[in-house]
Amino acid sequence: MSGAIEIAGLTKVYGDTRALDGVDLTVPEGSVFGFLGPNGAGKTTALRILTGMARPTSGGARVFGHDVVRATNEVRSLIGFLPDIPGYYPWMTAGEFLRFSGRLFGLKGPVLEDRVDSLLEMAGLADVTQRLSGFSRGMKQRLGVAQALINAPRLLMLDEPTSALDPMGRKDVLDMIAALKGKTTVFFSTHILTDVERVCDTVAILDCGRVVRQASMAELKHEGHAVRLLVEVEHGAEVLQPLLAAEPWATECTREGQVIRCIVSDMGAARRSVPALVAGEHLPLVRMVDEEPTLEDVFVEMVGGR
Amino acid sequence: MHGFAVFLGKEISEIVRTWRLYVVPGIMVFFGITSPIIAEVTPSLLSGMASSDVQNIVIEIPPATTADAYLQWSNNAVQIALFALIITVAGAIAGERRSGTAQLVLTKPVSRPAMVVAKMVSNWLLVLVTAVVSAALCIGVTALMFDTTLVREFVALVALWYLLACFMVTLTVTLSVLLKSQAGAAGAGLGVYFVMSILALWTVARDHTPAGMLGLGDRIVTGGEGLSVFWPVASTLLGIVVLAAFACWAFNRQEL
Repeated sequence: MSGAIEIAGLTKVYGDTRALDGVDLTVPEGSVFGFLGPNGAGKTTALRILTGMARPTSGGARVFGHDVVRATNEVRSLIGFLPDIPGYYPWMTAGEFLRFSGRLFGLKGPVLEDRVDSLLEMAGLADVTQRLSGFSRGMKQRLGVAQALINAPRLLMLDEPTSALDPMGRKDVLDMIAALKGKTTVFFSTHILTDVERVCDTVAILDCGRVVRQASMAELKHEGHAVRLLVEVEHGAEVLQPLLAAEPWATECTREGQVIRCIVSDMGAARRSVPALVAGEHLPLVRMVDEEPTLEDVFVEMVGGR
Repeated sequence: MHGFAVFLGKEISEIVRTWRLYVVPGIMVFFGITSPIIAEVTPSLLSGMASSDVQNIVIEIPPATTADAYLQWSNNAVQIALFALIITVAGAIAGERRSGTAQLVLTKPVSRPAMVVAKMVSNWLLVLVTAVVSAALCIGVTALMFDTTLVREFVALVALWYLLACFMVTLTVTLSVLLKSQAGAAGAGLGVYFVMSILALWTVARDHTPAGMLGLGDRIVTGGEGLSVFWPVASTLLGIVVLAAFACWAFNRQEL
C-alpha cells in the first residue's frame, strides 16, 4: 500500500517553541487515519504544513508524491480540508458555498450541480435555505465536511472536526466520516479518543511535537500492553481474589463487589487455571472474559498521563 | 492567478448582497445630489451669519457658480468618501484571515495573488460605478441649478479622483495584507492619506507624486494655467502597480 501522506523529519519552530520536532509519519492510502494527541501536541501545525498554510522549518512532507511546499496547487487539487473552526461567508447559503467551492476546483455545469445536490443531501442540508450566518455549529461542521468533498478528493484532511460539537452533532459528523471508509483516505486529527476508536483503522499518537507510536488500532491495543482478565462469581469473590493474586501469571488483581480484574502476563495459563480455582472453592462462576485495553489506556501510557 | 475569475465573481456578489453596496456608493450618491445644492445655499447662509453677528460691517459674498458646485463635489469626494473607502476596504484580507474564510478558500486551488488582486479589482469596479453615477447626478443637478458649462473639466476631475481612489484601494488592501487587522489597516491608510495631504503642500511632491492628485482636479476646474497632470498621474499608476505586486508577494510569504 502506497502512502497518501509521507512525512519525514518534519520540524516547525515558533520562536523558542518546537511545535513539531522531527515528525516521521506515513498515512496508508485508503485508510481512515486518526492523528491523535493532546491539545498543543502539534496536530494543527502539521495539518497547516500539509495544506500549504505554513512552511516547515526543516524536514518535508509529500502528499501522493507531491512536495507540499513546492507543489501547492497539485496538492490542493487532490485534497479536501476542513479546519477546526471553518469560516464561511455569512451572506451565502449552503448551496452557494458548495458551488463556489466547486468552481474553485474548475467544476461547472451538471457535474457541479449533481455534486452539490448529493453533498447537501449527505450533510442533511438539502432543505435548508437560510444563510450561513444562521447555521448552528453542527450544521457548519457538516457543511465543512461536504465542502471538503466537493472535488471528490483522494485525501480528506479534517482538523478536530468534532471537538466543538454536542453529542448529536458529533454523531452526525462521525457518521459522515465512517461512510467514507473505502472511498477515500481520511486523515483525521483529534484529541477525542472515542472518536478515533469509532471510525479509524490506523492511528498515530503525537505528543510534544513527536510521533510516539503509529500502528493499526488492533496492533496498538494488543502490542506490548497489559491484558486484563475479568472473573465474576455469584458470591465468594473475597475468597477467590487472594488465590488468583497468588498465581504466577497474575501481575495485579483488584476486586469490585463480585467482579475481580487481573492484569495477566500469560493469558493461556490464566485461562487454564481460573476455572480449576473457582471449582476448587465451589464458587458459582458467572463469567470469565478477556478485557482489551482501551485506546485511552494506551494513550495515557504513551503520553505519560499528561 | 489560479481561481481569479471565480473569486472575483464571489467578491462582486458580496458587494451586491451586503452592506458594502450601500456605504461608499450611498455617500457618493448623496454628494452627487447635494453638492450643487450646498454650493448654491452656502453664500446666502454665510451672508445671513455675517449680517446677524457683526454689525456695521458689510461682507459681500459672490453668488455661487457652476465651478463651486463641482468643487463642492470634489471636496466631499476627496475627503469623506475616501475616508469611508479606506475604512471599508481595510478588512479586505484581514477580515478573510480573521473569519477563517482565507484558510478554507486558500486550501483549494486558488493562488494567493488571485485573492489579493480580486479584492483590488472588485473595489476598483465598485468605485468606478459609484463615481459614474455620482458624477452624472452632480452634472444633472448642477445643470438644473446653474448651467451646463465646465462639464468636460468636471469629467476630468472625476477621472482623476477615480485614479486616486484606485490608488487608495490598492494601498489599503496592501496594508490589510501586512497588518493582519482591519483597524490597523484603516488607521495606517488614513495616516498615509494625511501624510499625502501634507506632502501636497510641497511643490515638488505635488507636481511629481500621487500626493498631487489630491488637488489636481480642483485646479483643472478652476482653470489652472500650464497645469501638467503627467507626473502625478504616472506616479499614481506606477504606485498602483508596485503596491499590487508587493501585496501579492507579501501575502505569498505569509503563514495563515
